[in-house]
Amino acid sequence: MADGKLQLVLVTPEKTLLDEPADSLKFPLFDGLVGIYPSRAPMVGRLGFGELVIKSSSGEKSFYIDGGFAQVKGQVVSILTNDALPLHAIDKEALKSELSELTEKVATTEADQDAKTARVDRLRMMLKLAQ
Amino acid sequence: MANARALVKRLKSVKNIRKITRTMELIATARFKKAMDRATEAAAYTKKISEIVADLSQVDLKFSHPLLEQRDNPKHVNLLVLTSNRGLCGGYNGGVLRQAVPRLKELRQNEEQTLELEVAGKRGIAFLKFQGYEFERAYTHFEDQPKFSEIEPIAQRYIDGFISGEIDRVEVAYTKFESAGKQTAVLETLLPIGDLMTEEGDETDDEGRNVDYEFLPSAQEILEEIVPAAFKARLFKCFLDAAVSEQIARMVAMKGATENAGEMIRDLSQKYNRARQSQITSELSEIIGGAAALE
Repeated sequence: MADGKLQLVLVTPEKTLLDEPADSLKFPLFDGLVGIYPSRAPMVGRLGFGELVIKSSSGEKSFYIDGGFAQVKGQVVSILTNDALPLHAIDKEALKSELSELTEKVATTEADQDAKTARVDRLRMMLKLAQ
Repeated sequence: MANARALVKRLKSVKNIRKITRTMELIATARFKKAMDRATEAAAYTKKISEIVADLSQVDLKFSHPLLEQRDNPKHVNLLVLTSNRGLCGGYNGGVLRQAVPRLKELRQNEEQTLELEVAGKRGIAFLKFQGYEFERAYTHFEDQPKFSEIEPIAQRYIDGFISGEIDRVEVAYTKFESAGKQTAVLETLLPIGDLMTEEGDETDDEGRNVDYEFLPSAQEILEEIVPAAFKARLFKCFLDAAVSEQIARMVAMKGATENAGEMIRDLSQKYNRARQSQITSELSEIIGGAAALE
């Protein structure tokens, strides 16, 4: 099935975080997780937020990614995301305090409510991943 | 002679200034390198974005998005001026403001248009305040390493404003970084987005041109997401360019200042030596004159 390896390019607006070979990938699309093996058909997809898992010969790596796009073209998988954090770099305490602050706040408008839910969902996801 | 004493004082102060300008030059050089690295790293993102846009354009798809829509006679214009927080950087701020002020005047004279002015950097704020312009927002927290997370809210506000019709046009006056030897102050229209494809990442390799992509969820929805992302990346690039250009401008200005101070020191020490010599000569001739009078 697999001829060769995937080349993963993980970029955020600030920098290129990773550009390395990988055996397989797992990341969230807008509607659920997707797994990528070498020689996948070309794809452009919208990302959701959640965990990006990279399996390679040197082990497994995990990142939290927050929206963006994924492009699969040949063996190159490009992940463009607004924010990518290695899971071990997540500051749980700060997240917890932000979450409790946010849940106490009352959203008055619909837009506020949407923004609040979006942020709360992301925070909960990050906390869950950081466990 | 009192003159010699005054010269010594002057010489000392010029030497001190030279020390300061030289240090500033070194600091600017170090910061420039860092800022430059960030800018090149950020370029990868814009390149990828335009790659995906290029892929999208192959699909039979109408490129329509609220942010791409050109509006005839824009009423609400938003002008963002990017200047530095600190001075001593030569013509950097002057250049940007020279671009911004004529445009401001034009907008102010035009009765039909309303203007929202936003300024980043203390220098620009001070100047425009003095000129009597009122501005909506002022940012002073952008230093030489602007973060995407700081710029995203601004970009989001523009996007929301543009879609809801509160803003018809967003312009940015900043210093564009073209190469390490050339930076030009420009006034650019960021919204509506003129052409998504005119990015430096355009010359992507042709071999992958005819890839048949699977679009998830659909090409149209990807387009809807990617246009705001491209705008955010562009705005971010403006800030990065401005930061890099500022450091270059400071580096050049301080190099000039250090050289000038060196020249001045040479001049002053020559003058001082002459003054000292003439003082000795006159003292000698006084003694000789005195001795001659006693004979």
